[in-house]
Amino acid sequence: MTISAPRYGSLPFARTERAFRVLAIMKREVVRRARWGTLLAVGLSYAIVILMVVFDAEFASFIGNLTTATFEAPFESPVWPFLMLIVATTAGAGTIAEDVGNRSITLYLSRPIHLVDYLAAKAAACASWLVIAAVGPGVVGATIVAALGLAPAAVCLASLGAFVVVGLLAAVFFTGTALAFSSLTNRSLYAGVGIFGVILSLYVGAAVVAGITGSVYVPYASPVTDLRSVALTVFGVGGTPDTDPLASALVLLGAGVMLTGFAYWRLTRVEVVGE
Amino acid sequence: MTALLETRELSRRFGEVEALQGVTFSIPEGAIGLIGPNGAGKTTLLRVLLGLIPSTSGGASVMGQDTSLHGLSIRERVGYMPEDDCLLPEMTGIGFVAYMARVSGLPKELAFSRAHEVLQFTGLREERYRKISEYSVGMRQRVKLAQAIVHDPPLCFLDEPTSGLDPQGREEMLGLIRALSKIGNHSFVLSTHLLPDTEGLCDQVLLLNAGRRLASGRVDELLAVKNEDRVVRVKGDPSRFVAALSAKGLTPRLAEGEVRFTLLQGDTRPVFQAAFETGTEVRYLGRSVSTIEDLFLSLVNVVPVGPPT
Repeated sequence: MTISAPRYGSLPFARTERAFRVLAIMKREVVRRARWGTLLAVGLSYAIVILMVVFDAEFASFIGNLTTATFEAPFESPVWPFLMLIVATTAGAGTIAEDVGNRSITLYLSRPIHLVDYLAAKAAACASWLVIAAVGPGVVGATIVAALGLAPAAVCLASLGAFVVVGLLAAVFFTGTALAFSSLTNRSLYAGVGIFGVILSLYVGAAVVAGITGSVYVPYASPVTDLRSVALTVFGVGGTPDTDPLASALVLLGAGVMLTGFAYWRLTRVEVVGE
Repeated sequence: MTALLETRELSRRFGEVEALQGVTFSIPEGAIGLIGPNGAGKTTLLRVLLGLIPSTSGGASVMGQDTSLHGLSIRERVGYMPEDDCLLPEMTGIGFVAYMARVSGLPKELAFSRAHEVLQFTGLREERYRKISEYSVGMRQRVKLAQAIVHDPPLCFLDEPTSGLDPQGREEMLGLIRALSKIGNHSFVLSTHLLPDTEGLCDQVLLLNAGRRLASGRVDELLAVKNEDRVVRVKGDPSRFVAALSAKGLTPRLAEGEVRFTLLQGDTRPVFQAAFETGTEVRYLGRSVSTIEDLFLSLVNVVPVGPPT
């Protein structure tokens, strides 16, 4: 193997802004996370939610009882939140853990970006997948209903807005959860087990404890219950949800932000290079 | 003239371990060897200089910019080749280097053209299209070098670049670094525990041991300071020879059959007088410090010396 004389010298160019560097990391991370588990969960989300929305809309239209509340059906069962949890696990568990594990975080942080830029890129990538899984199916479902003429455009538009609001709330919460667990370990498997286990435990545990104690506060500990309460209100479904919708929205939002902050704190403690 | 690298009583502690202890030096641009055994604090020093970790006390600046305030600006102008195997194995060589170029702020088209150029420079030709996970150790080191220089930094930190390489790979890597140092105004810091790596490559050195600075400055100046140190090998009883030298006002040390001492005003006559008096035969008389390795060994466990920095 020979050594070629270098053909380059100084580069008189204007470098891109930090935002573009963050975007470069984010884009690669989104592509990197397109694994079979993520794609399967996303695909199932679309198939199930679209089918539910379209069939419910057709049935409600047939009996002349179609409102925005009809579109809330996917949140009635825990299937969709469960699929969101799978996406958070498969797309988010390795987002930081893998970089710490293979030490590529050293390379990232030796570049002209701040730690917060790195975290923002990772969060944006994870959130992108979650938005695709949590917002996309409802939006597509409502659009199909409108396109088929099963419901008035105004109802479809209002439902579409409701899907966006609830989906974004879910994306914020699950992104924060994924980042926090991913920052705790250098093994994506452990992080994934943590994300999945804790959320599932909270869902089951809060229901059991609330049933035994009758406490009105315990259900707030379950993200799935919080999400459903918000959905019931946003879609204008009658009845009394298990939790106060506004408080539940604040719990999800606050937890998502705090968990992201926790991930940042954890990263500041990571030794970026072994001595 | 602004120093390329400067520290003032720089200390960094990790729990109970004091990785750097009051390190002060000032080095102008050029080819700089950062030398010390494993655990000397070399990597910690590079991390502080990059602004990746803060110092516990004291300060540092790179190209006149304070590392605690201008980390981002410093990292725009510094390339870093870490010691660890920290590549992204699922990417191709070209994809990885171009990606790192983009994260460094190069526009997409320029990032790819630069990535091709630096990979060509480092000797990765068709291999650049293969996944990094399929690369040998030598190829991985080349990719690490390529990603460090892809954004054309005027200064490069190379942390143990010959680590894990066979003799031929080591020579090729040192050849690349030598070629790099001849381009424009590029400076580099070669951090290594393999002292021969710096011979003939670095015109300045910073010697660290156990988190402390042993010496720093131009290699020729540092070696000149030790110009009077001599080593003697004798045939006969070296302990009697040592006693005779001591009687003549010298301070000899006997180690591994060799006698080391410092000449008084360059006068070698006491050596031969002592040999004559003790019936020993001088088989070798020469400078004990003629290389950076000799200098380092002579300074370990000795108070820091060297020209004013």
